[in-house]
Amino acid sequence: MAEERTAIAELRRDVTVWGSYMWGFADVGADTFVALGLVFAFSEGAAPLAFLLAGTVYILVGLAYTELASAYPVAGGGQYFALRGLGDFWSLVAGSALVLDYTLCTALFAYFAVTYFSHFVPALAEATLALGPFEHVRIGLALMTLLLIVFLAWLNVRGMRQASLLNELIGVLIILMESLIISMGFVFAWKPELLMAQWSETFANFHPRQFLYGASLAIISFVGLESISQAAQETRRPATIVPRTSIALVFTVFLFAVSLSVLTLGTVRWEVFLDEHNVGRSVAIVAGHLPWIGRVAEDVTAALAVLVLMLSSNSGVMSVSRVAFSMSRYDFISSWFERVHPQYRTPARTIVVFSTIAALQVVLASLTESAIDTLANMYAFGATLGYTLVMISLIRLRFTDPYTPRPYRVPFNIPIRGEGTTVYVPVLGIVGLVGITAVLVIVLFTHEIAAVAGPLWVLLSVLYYAWHRRRRGLPIFRSVRRPWEREQMAVLEAAEEYDLLEQYRIVLAERDRWRKRLSHDADTVVE
Amino acid sequence: MSGGEAHISVVGVTLAAIFLASLGGMLWWMLHPPAPIGPAVARAYRGVSALKRILVPVKGTGYSDRAVELACRLGQEQQAELILTYVIEVPLSLPLNTPLDQEERRAREALERAVELVKLHNLRPIPVVRRDRDVGRGIVSVVTDYDVDLVVIGLNPRRVAAGDSIGRGIETVLRRAGVEVIIDMVPEE
Repeated sequence: MAEERTAIAELRRDVTVWGSYMWGFADVGADTFVALGLVFAFSEGAAPLAFLLAGTVYILVGLAYTELASAYPVAGGGQYFALRGLGDFWSLVAGSALVLDYTLCTALFAYFAVTYFSHFVPALAEATLALGPFEHVRIGLALMTLLLIVFLAWLNVRGMRQASLLNELIGVLIILMESLIISMGFVFAWKPELLMAQWSETFANFHPRQFLYGASLAIISFVGLESISQAAQETRRPATIVPRTSIALVFTVFLFAVSLSVLTLGTVRWEVFLDEHNVGRSVAIVAGHLPWIGRVAEDVTAALAVLVLMLSSNSGVMSVSRVAFSMSRYDFISSWFERVHPQYRTPARTIVVFSTIAALQVVLASLTESAIDTLANMYAFGATLGYTLVMISLIRLRFTDPYTPRPYRVPFNIPIRGEGTTVYVPVLGIVGLVGITAVLVIVLFTHEIAAVAGPLWVLLSVLYYAWHRRRRGLPIFRSVRRPWEREQMAVLEAAEEYDLLEQYRIVLAERDRWRKRLSHDADTVVE
Repeated sequence: MSGGEAHISVVGVTLAAIFLASLGGMLWWMLHPPAPIGPAVARAYRGVSALKRILVPVKGTGYSDRAVELACRLGQEQQAELILTYVIEVPLSLPLNTPLDQEERRAREALERAVELVKLHNLRPIPVVRRDRDVGRGIVSVVTDYDVDLVVIGLNPRRVAAGDSIGRGIETVLRRAGVEVIIDMVPEE
């Protein structure tokens, strides 16, 4: 049964290097528009340090994703890596974290798209309502966000494809716009004395808990690494292309986030971001401080932000369908989710169910003091839990599957002798695991809502999984046996990675010979 | 907001330059991936790396030393093991375990020479002396016992120059070894 369901027929496309990069950038690149103001609101003048700390952890996680996505270029991303490294149960946990994050991605980015849009229609942000015990519900923003989510769900059910050319065009515009803001900002608007003053003020009255909270929120400027594995699944020669595009993606996003935060600290007073409306259009505010073109840059940035945030929100709708499909294929959730719409041939059920969850998240978050903060700290929980499991999988797979060729390997390794091959213990992987676990702990200790709602979501997922597996007569905590080696060969062949395929065959043959030799090793010198 | 006033600083200009150089450099590197490799090329390219056990029949002659050296170079990158084989041909008129002191001494000397050569390359030599009625058959049996991937045989140039065939033993290896065989012959000057 498992063998039948895991047989894969994949369609690879001619996604160019640039197309593959933009695929990821359309997802991760928008994060800075969300995180910048939020991190400043909590970490104050130490925001660049918060971005640097979160960014360092993110680079380590990003390198792990690069290694795993190029070694296992299949759908599912973190959920699949956890399945290979840790087995069915933990894969379900990783999958539930990813599903949570994708629904939040839809909700949070739609909300931010609307707040950036309110730059042009301020009445949207100003419309508030008191609903019983919930005062100041931003009804304008919430209703517009719900409308946007419904619209995106409708588009996806109808199968309107997000044209990759449009994706690339908007991505290029965002890169150019951000580069212009950062380079022009540093040359003409950045004041080192303002940066030093704000820095000193913050550290003169330093609040470690608030700083850590901000740092853990900064991790959301780097969420979206899953798109690397999705690009890997559909790119020809992923082993060659994906390491380059994903390393470039990881470092450019890091560069943008850290540079923008340093620029902001030397350009704007951080107190500006205490107003939630400004948090929702932070990059546009920084662009507004550019001399000569400030007004135009502010409007153009806000308009581009609306577009890129809508694309990101839409990518949440699309990605959750992929993860749900992968989870269904490996029998973690019902095959009900696999069915496609008879007319539109889209995973309509998945889209409707998870878009409804995203809408529900917006409604619940709007009842809290700050919808943006609530959605963001839930988002941080899902991302850090998923990333933690991916880091553990990276380390474990180095021991359990040293045979799969890794066209890219996270640097700094200790080689030890394994079963017919060399096992490389990933030193940076271990450092990354410690880092991301620390962020997860900080999220759980400092984010009051995420600390309860996040684990509750995972628990509900586990209960559903247990019910489904029991019903299907499958083990709950043990894993179903699957022909991974055969599947890996099929994947490499479909990906046209012939060199890796040869390497894989050779190393497996060597392992088999090593095992054979163990049983009757004839190391006689003279007979 | 209509934009702030211009304020230029050396640090700001430096940071902008570092930012643009880093971004440009990263994107340039990304956009220049290596060319693709086809299945046939990949097989040939990786095929040699798969040679982990190489057998060389040794005789203590110049041409057999040359074969050992060639085998070492072929196995260097993947740290192959070198199965150095001396086959003592025992005539049918004698029992297979008949002591043949002179031949055994010759085998020891030939193997010592070959082992020294292999150790120069930091590879692992496995010297084997095999008794058989036929040299070719002896080599084939070692190929099977030691799970050999490649046989490198040095050919006596004088013998070929004299118009003889390449030898029955070599023909047996070519026909029955079932693994890749390289025959090396350097013409005499």
